[in-house]
Amino acid sequence: MHIKIPSDRIGALIGPDGETKNMLEERCGIALDVDSESGSVTVDPQGDALAAMKAMEFVKAVGRGFSPERALPLLEDEMLMLDLLDLSKLVATKNDMARVKGRIIGKDGKTRELMEELSGSRISVYGKTVAIIGQPEQIRVVRAAIEMLLDGAPHGNVYSFLEKKHREMAIAELEGKPDVL
Amino acid sequence: MSEGKWGIAHIFSSFNNTLITITDLTGAETLAKVSGGMVVKAARDESSPYTAMQMAMQVAEQAKAKGIVGVHVKVRAPGGNRQRSPGPGAQASIRALARAGLRIGRIEDATPIPHDGTKPSGGKRGRRV
Repeated sequence: MHIKIPSDRIGALIGPDGETKNMLEERCGIALDVDSESGSVTVDPQGDALAAMKAMEFVKAVGRGFSPERALPLLEDEMLMLDLLDLSKLVATKNDMARVKGRIIGKDGKTRELMEELSGSRISVYGKTVAIIGQPEQIRVVRAAIEMLLDGAPHGNVYSFLEKKHREMAIAELEGKPDVL
Repeated sequence: MSEGKWGIAHIFSSFNNTLITITDLTGAETLAKVSGGMVVKAARDESSPYTAMQMAMQVAEQAKAKGIVGVHVKVRAPGGNRQRSPGPGAQASIRALARAGLRIGRIEDATPIPHDGTKPSGGKRGRRV
């Protein structure tokens, strides 16, 4: 299984003295082949195809700007998944991209932090994509919030939307429903 | 892999639904199939990972009754000019297939990628934001 990640994320994937790479290989029982010239990563599933799939997701998450520490829950929690939102299709020009990314991140990362906190997910804005790690319903909330921002909604409205969803999710958890949305 | 038959589990996972079809290795003979609507009532739940787990359970039972011991998996997202990454049901169903006692062979991505196909929806100026 192949995947290509940006060359400036190769270092993060391998880690100091190959720490992260070794950790991943050991945890998932796979062999990882990283070509640091081209940025292509090959995951060799040595037996367990499921673990290899998880490893692929981890590599993809690191490639989309998550630090290995922040991507680690992907390996630990079965319910977490990675979602990618491609901005390049929605944005016409370079300046537009900077503006839209700025809106998603907010001043000093305030908006991104709030989105993470209220939904319980992790968000990385990197290059032309927004990557989200979270449970499916959390991802759905964050996606909706980001789409609101892209549509030009004022940040205040998005915050109150997130607050509302936050309460709904908390209530659903109390009632012990298996799936919220 | 000596005793018992292997099959292919075709998993189509979009944001609105999940479909699991287990076929023989040629892909021409369907052995078992299930969709989101066969498990839950509400349309919005058809794509949820919880539903996908139940679906995988059902389909695995049927396949095992027909003598399948393991499956290779082909995961497919809507593709074309829609999303390329599988929806929330894909991972959950693969895991549930494994838990239901089917062995998982290779996992492959079978999302159709256009070699420049039709015009994406949204009109000439795209989806305006």
